[in-house]
Amino acid sequence: MRKLTVALVVLFLFAGSALAAYPEKNIQGYIMWGAGGAMDNVARAITPMAQEHLGKTIIMQNKTGATGAIATTFVANQPADGYTLLFGAENPNLYKVTGLSQIDYDQFDPVFLMMGNVGVVVIPKDSPFKSYKDLIEAAASGKTVTVGSTGPGGLPYVATTMIEKIHGVKFNKVQFDGEGPCLTALMGGHIDAVAVGLLAAASHIKAGSVNGLAMISKERIPGLDSVPAVTEIYEQYAPYLPWGAFFGVFVKKGTPKEAYDALQAAYQKAYEDPKFDEFAKNMGGVKLGLTGDEAREFIKQNQSVSAWLLYDAGGAKFSPEEFGIKRP
Amino acid sequence: MEQNLQYFLIPFLNWEMMLLIWVGVFAGIWVGAIPGLSVTMAASLLISFTFSWDINSALALICGVFVGGVYGGSITAILLNIPGAPAAIATGIEGYPLAQRGEAGKAIGLCTTVSVFASFVGIIVLAVAAPVIANFSLKFAPRDFFLLAVMGILLIGSIGGGDPVKGITAGAIGILISMVGMDPSTGEMRYTFGNIYLMAGISFVTAMIGLFGVSEALTQFRQAGLKSPKQNLDRIIPSWATFVKYLPLSIRSSLLGVFIGALPGTGGDVAALLAYDQAKRSVRNPSRPFGTGAYEGIVAPETANKGAIGGAFIPMLTLGIPGDAVTAIIIGALYIHGLKPGPMLMIETPHLFWMIVSCLSISSIALLVLGLISVKPFAKIIEIPKEIIMPVVIILSVIGTYAIQNSVVDIFYMIGFGIIGYFMRLYGYATGPMVLGLILGPMLDANYRRTMQGAEDQFLPFLQGFVTSPISLFLTLAIVFLVFSQTAVYRRWRGIQ
Repeated sequence: MRKLTVALVVLFLFAGSALAAYPEKNIQGYIMWGAGGAMDNVARAITPMAQEHLGKTIIMQNKTGATGAIATTFVANQPADGYTLLFGAENPNLYKVTGLSQIDYDQFDPVFLMMGNVGVVVIPKDSPFKSYKDLIEAAASGKTVTVGSTGPGGLPYVATTMIEKIHGVKFNKVQFDGEGPCLTALMGGHIDAVAVGLLAAASHIKAGSVNGLAMISKERIPGLDSVPAVTEIYEQYAPYLPWGAFFGVFVKKGTPKEAYDALQAAYQKAYEDPKFDEFAKNMGGVKLGLTGDEAREFIKQNQSVSAWLLYDAGGAKFSPEEFGIKRP
Repeated sequence: MEQNLQYFLIPFLNWEMMLLIWVGVFAGIWVGAIPGLSVTMAASLLISFTFSWDINSALALICGVFVGGVYGGSITAILLNIPGAPAAIATGIEGYPLAQRGEAGKAIGLCTTVSVFASFVGIIVLAVAAPVIANFSLKFAPRDFFLLAVMGILLIGSIGGGDPVKGITAGAIGILISMVGMDPSTGEMRYTFGNIYLMAGISFVTAMIGLFGVSEALTQFRQAGLKSPKQNLDRIIPSWATFVKYLPLSIRSSLLGVFIGALPGTGGDVAALLAYDQAKRSVRNPSRPFGTGAYEGIVAPETANKGAIGGAFIPMLTLGIPGDAVTAIIIGALYIHGLKPGPMLMIETPHLFWMIVSCLSISSIALLVLGLISVKPFAKIIEIPKEIIMPVVIILSVIGTYAIQNSVVDIFYMIGFGIIGYFMRLYGYATGPMVLGLILGPMLDANYRRTMQGAEDQFLPFLQGFVTSPISLFLTLAIVFLVFSQTAVYRRWRGIQ
């Protein structure tokens, strides 16, 4: 009798906890990049709208360092209960080949990829180059062309490597602390060109303080139609595209389906909010809106292009093959 | 013009914004005073907090916190020898000896008055000359930032405390520690021993809290039980004559502050240190010898770090480039609120520019009032027995450190640096040069390598740059002069002792 009571109580407790709707308490969100950057802005813009649909607060914190590996490792070590979210960009895709960390998006499920960032090649407004062809031909003729970069693995570095590989040219790379400082140096005339994310460059291109030569994309970007897509100029880019940065929200693998679905629905609704449209338009970001398998596919494609470019350029310690990353 | 005036008056006519600015300044003073709780952090917290607000109200609050926070950092530097923020390091060197003489009230009073003055200098320059300065600041090449960092390193002579060998040793160790982590240029790991927490590097704020906060607290425990100096609080507002006496220095230092603040990536910390050094070299007859409580040594860094506030907004509002960490966060906030920061900001939303100018002006007025009101209660903090106040300092240091990036590991670093700092002090090594090395190390490293990369790793073109670019040439000559002016030959020639 006593055993039966205990069993019933246990059963009841289990049922109770299973029935309690997610979320029962506030959720912690960790942003892998610092305050004021693109990742931070995207995360902080969409989350307040998503939490309205969840009914609980998502407490946002920046946990920076080691190009996001600190936050990624931290969240991977939390319980997979849906109460710890990782706001991450494309960086973990290169952790394994650079030897930075063994924990990357393989340990996570993408809840939602909100926004993408396309690379764009820009030059100072008083530059002698008038077109993308000019720039490539100058580099091909053996002239020194100095370009900005943010260090191996960053979008500018990988984009520049892609250009170098396709045209068989070499640029002189100077490393800055981020895409913003690259643009500052470009405006001051300290470098000749830089390939950066459109999010950082859009407002400067629109204002005419820098000139956009080509979007590293198959299509032109709405709102900046004057900048040609790179495939219009050189078809050789097509196999590498689409490629760019992305910003998403992730949970650890093994998170209960109920929690995953609740989060996914909340972010989906926030994504469809016209306020988010406005935000994406102002920033110059490309709305992605991917989730589930589609998101996983997108991340894999990005990883394969970046990892192999980096490896072929000698910027990676380990071959992508070791980790089963397929060549694009 | 009339339109601009109208925009300028928005916050004056809106009681809610007015109130928020005052609340911001008040909160900022306290946040700034606690080691580790920085203006940058407060601003980023406020941005999530004010998401649903109207942008005007959010900006009013952030401007208030910015101005109050920079000021607050100096209060603890003067009272407890614990700078609340790196921008207040120099202030503590002169301010603490003054507090020990019972002149804390006078020191804070002077600090408040000149701070408000400098803050207005920054605002006026922002309002009048923003586009010109912004375009000039773009001309600063990596080489010039390298030279600025070298100039900063020379400060070890000023804050090293007597023995040059000890000062240089501490500074060099500071630079070495700043190299820990992922190489910013190649992504190689330096001194990380495969540890992921070392890969992120050691934040200089963490080290600063340990080296200044905890080590000072530990040192002062040795004097526990001693009676604290009695504070004279009769005349805290400096007389008009005093203010006029320091006016030339105030103008000079605040303009230096505005300019350093306007350079992308450098802020009030570098400005204050350079201004202190500049004052130490140029003031002929200080009120007392530097290092023992010279009022000039408070005026210079305090005016520079307040001037840097207006300066930091210059590239942000004209070009969409942050002048420092706080303005970087404000740019993010503008995006989230549906605005488009960038070169078009002043053209598309001119009201924003004038409103920020106006919010900063009101903040400065609020600072004058709130600062002077709180001098007396603040000065009383010194009279609290050491055995009560110092444990509080240690607790606040722990909280502040954790709050930087929510990392428990940072707390261990901080305590480690506190213990190192304690022994450094015990053996006559100043902790200032070590923090200086930590702040300037990355600036030296990254800009030296950028310059080298720009010269395609060729030594000759690298050297050529120092004489062919006018800005670099000026800075190079300035450094040569700074070094030469310390030699016996020069001193004999100028007749200085």
